[in-house]
Amino acid sequence: MSHSTHPASGDEGFAVTTHALSKRYGGEPALDRVELRVPEGAVYVLIGPNGAGKSTTFKILMNLERPDSGSAEVFGLDTGRQGPKARAQVGYVPERQDSGYRAMTCGRLLQHVAAYYSTWDHAYAEQLTRALDLRLQRRVGGLSKGEARRLQLVMALAHRPPLLLLDEPTDGLDPLVRKRVLALLTEHLADTPTTVLISTHHVYEMETLADHVGVLRDGRLVAQLDRDELKRTVRRYRIEVPEGWESPPEFRVAADASRSPNRRELQWTLVGDERSVAEKLALTGARVREVTSLGLEDAALAFLDGEVTG
Amino acid sequence: MTQPVLQPVLQPVLHSTPRPRDVLREQVRALGIAIKLPAVVAVALAALATILVASRLFDAGKPIDFAPELSMLPGIVGLLLPIGVWRGEDRFGAGLLWTLPVDRRHHALTRVCAGWVWLMAAVALFVLWLFAITLISGGNVTAESTILVLPSSVVPEPGTLDAASLESVRWTPRPLLWLVPFTSATGAYLLASAFALGTRHPIRWLVGAVLTFFAFLGFAEAAHSRVLLQGGNRVLVALMDGPYGIDALLTARTESLHTEATLSTGEKVGVWRGLPDLGQWVKATLLWTSVGLAALWAAASRHRERRRG
Repeated sequence: MSHSTHPASGDEGFAVTTHALSKRYGGEPALDRVELRVPEGAVYVLIGPNGAGKSTTFKILMNLERPDSGSAEVFGLDTGRQGPKARAQVGYVPERQDSGYRAMTCGRLLQHVAAYYSTWDHAYAEQLTRALDLRLQRRVGGLSKGEARRLQLVMALAHRPPLLLLDEPTDGLDPLVRKRVLALLTEHLADTPTTVLISTHHVYEMETLADHVGVLRDGRLVAQLDRDELKRTVRRYRIEVPEGWESPPEFRVAADASRSPNRRELQWTLVGDERSVAEKLALTGARVREVTSLGLEDAALAFLDGEVTG
Repeated sequence: MTQPVLQPVLQPVLHSTPRPRDVLREQVRALGIAIKLPAVVAVALAALATILVASRLFDAGKPIDFAPELSMLPGIVGLLLPIGVWRGEDRFGAGLLWTLPVDRRHHALTRVCAGWVWLMAAVALFVLWLFAITLISGGNVTAESTILVLPSSVVPEPGTLDAASLESVRWTPRPLLWLVPFTSATGAYLLASAFALGTRHPIRWLVGAVLTFFAFLGFAEAAHSRVLLQGGNRVLVALMDGPYGIDALLTARTESLHTEATLSTGEKVGVWRGLPDLGQWVKATLLWTSVGLAALWAAASRHRERRRG
């Protein structure tokens, strides 16, 4: 079968785009007008607490769920109207480890999945299987959570898809295997032009790989920025404030912004250009004592804590 | 002079979807593994049946005629096979099947088709086994036989039937009836597949339907409503034993037409209430197969791609 090239799209340069994507379960919003933009070739980490809508986003991208409104595209392919074509571009590791097919051996299941992808790289699948210490003759029904997850990773990577959708891929893996998986992922990205959209609770694991971060909270995408922007604009400020100081309205004091015991000193995570933030604070009588840059995880988590203001 | 249009070098090459025939071939192979255990059980039962037949031959020396249409087994296997086909598959969730790059409705139908391929193979083996048993026992394969037919006016009351009232008819079963095991298995399989694919909780639906029927009968009894009772009974008889009923599909009505009667002498004989009508069987098969296909399409449509607008 021949390969088609990238279709014309209004979102060129993006591997994944969503437009005002909304989904409700019962009365509860799972996604609320989400505008996701994952650039081609990026490693985009989607973070958020449980129930924030990460898995729902992945399922909509795989057309396993229908959005209530809005749309989603994978390389310009509408996931609702061109579901099979869109899925052909994706290596998907779902949140659940149970793949079904319990009577099959791991080797047979890999053979089964391989039949669906003309780009399946048998040598690479074998290499991944060895690296992840998977025994091909074992029955899928008898696998532990970690083994099932490793099998899913092989199924997702071995056809070298242009897009990897990894929903908590290291969940259920022991620390050693987790490390090995991340090393394999790094090698994979070096060998294969791939865009990765990954959701994880272990953001620190992605510290070296991630170049974009999106933060979902209560179904809303509250932040979406590249790594440099995140590091440059999200910073921790230690400021000294006068007696009876009122925070400027654009810097609403977050609930957990920490104050020193004498209540004259405040620690704050703020978004914005450092100089303009300092100037704005100075106008209110506050004095910036120290500015520290945050790691990827701390910066991203600040959005979840509701600590980030400005 | 026009300038050549340069494509960006890093533009990703999109992967293609698999060919339908490759998907079917793989589904047939994968299902072979899924139904291996029931297949082994079936082979064991066939071996046991062969031993029983052999011992019967040894004891009585009575040959067995070749009449595959008489067996309801293919139909029953057709009814049960969808359990094996869909076992372990997350039909209404985000199972592996639905994450693969194939149109979901087509994928569901392809899997049903793969199951049907195995079903036909199993039925063919079953018919061959019957054929072999017939040959080994010295039974009748195509030759005509004499059967006893009850005149339509006679109601076979136990112990009152006069042998003289039975008509002896020379009858040659047409080879077309050998197709009955295949068509009955197909019809039953289509209906059961539609049920398994289209309902989240098939067992609950089945139990619910049976309970509803008995509740209806109970209500009719309590209300002393002869109309309801007779109506219910008539519908049930038409559905099961009617000219186009389930029995017409499964056995070309050989099951409902063939019965055992006790003569006034106390002797028990096999009698026919009529001869199987091939035209009726063809119509019943077409009817039930069409219903099965329509139901299957509707059931598979529950899993179609989730398009909006």
